[in-house]
Amino acid sequence: METVFKKSFKVFYTFIALVILSILTITADYKYNQLDNLRSLINDTVIFPIDYLSTMPKKIFEISIQDTEVISELENKVIILEKENLKLKVQLQEYQAIKDENLRLRKISEESSKISNRQTLAKVINNNAHPSKKIISIDKGKKDGIFIGQNVLGLKGLVGQIIESSYLSSKVLLISDLNSNIPAQVTRTGEKIIVKGRDENDKLDVLFAQISMDIKVGDIVSTSGMADRFKANIPIGQISFIDNNKERKFATVHVVPHENIGSSSELILIWDYKPKEPNE
Amino acid sequence: MNNFLVIFLSLILSLALTIITFALGEFSPDWLYLTVIYWILAVPNSIGLITAWFIGLLTDVTFGSILGSNALTFVIISFIIIKTYKFIRYLTVYQQSLIIFILLFIKQTILMWIDGAVGIEIPSFSTYYWSVLTSAIAWPLVFFTLRYVRRKYNVA
Repeated sequence: METVFKKSFKVFYTFIALVILSILTITADYKYNQLDNLRSLINDTVIFPIDYLSTMPKKIFEISIQDTEVISELENKVIILEKENLKLKVQLQEYQAIKDENLRLRKISEESSKISNRQTLAKVINNNAHPSKKIISIDKGKKDGIFIGQNVLGLKGLVGQIIESSYLSSKVLLISDLNSNIPAQVTRTGEKIIVKGRDENDKLDVLFAQISMDIKVGDIVSTSGMADRFKANIPIGQISFIDNNKERKFATVHVVPHENIGSSSELILIWDYKPKEPNE
Repeated sequence: MNNFLVIFLSLILSLALTIITFALGEFSPDWLYLTVIYWILAVPNSIGLITAWFIGLLTDVTFGSILGSNALTFVIISFIIIKTYKFIRYLTVYQQSLIIFILLFIKQTILMWIDGAVGIEIPSFSTYYWSVLTSAIAWPLVFFTLRYVRRKYNVA
């Protein structure tokens, strides 16, 4: 009988010890950010291989579908792409002219008009993480020099930023996440706003848009480069809805992002902009 | 050795299943929790509290949640099951589903409290609680599959 009691107490003490340990890890993680190394270690040794293996069937499926594409379809594709290439080249010339004009007229500082020279293409490993968070993982990590806060772009606009990077993979916080706030501006007027995610992939909120602000449906919103988080002038989206209710202090404004956030399979990482470390 | 291997493989598989069903978003069942609960119910000495804590840590890294939050709930749930497995074992599978529903409901509430205390904005209650329902529905599936595996490989 005594041994049963002893054993029972042993389990109880282990339980209490582990609960205290958990509370300590929670505090250490969120208050002091001390556990990033542990996190990336577990990520590289356990999660990454399993993640990779579990998406294997899907990849094989996709490859086998690609192989069955008929040659005529591919030829069609080539024609379409050539047309698009031509169109883009013409647009590029116009863009070059506009850029020169812009430089001459406004003499913008070097920094904001510079185009990113170095880019890295990253493949998305997993499109979804925690249901309450909009996080995706990509196949580039510390071994490729990825740093925390690096801006992540799609082909059409901003997608998010790196929040966590381990040796082999890293996690991207999408701009549609509830906890993502982007300093932005309306490109037509230059007015500063903050774009906030609202847990939906096709809609973003605008915070602190004054009722009297000059803003129209169809205006393009881009990053402002304030707060040194994102590079300036990365397009985010287009304004789709404005509610100027006079009784409220701020207008309700919705933005539709250019990029199909959360469903892209390839992302672009830019290198020429490094966010400042937050002072603590 | 056989025991260890079978349980280890089933945990790896449920982790892979968790990653695959990320696509279901808030509806994806907690496969890891179900697997751990099954093994503790069927073979009480198989997974101890300390192992459960490490599995929880793994879950935290997979989900990207705060390190320690899922570890805490894993330890709490394992402790409750270790203390009450004699009772739960003799219920029918569907009654067990109900117990699992209650346990996971408590777990999600704790996780929500932790998220709230840390200052993460909570989208809506449904994102937290849909998985409880789907897990309870998925329990018979996990139960019968793992029971088949346990009998085939003679895990005791």
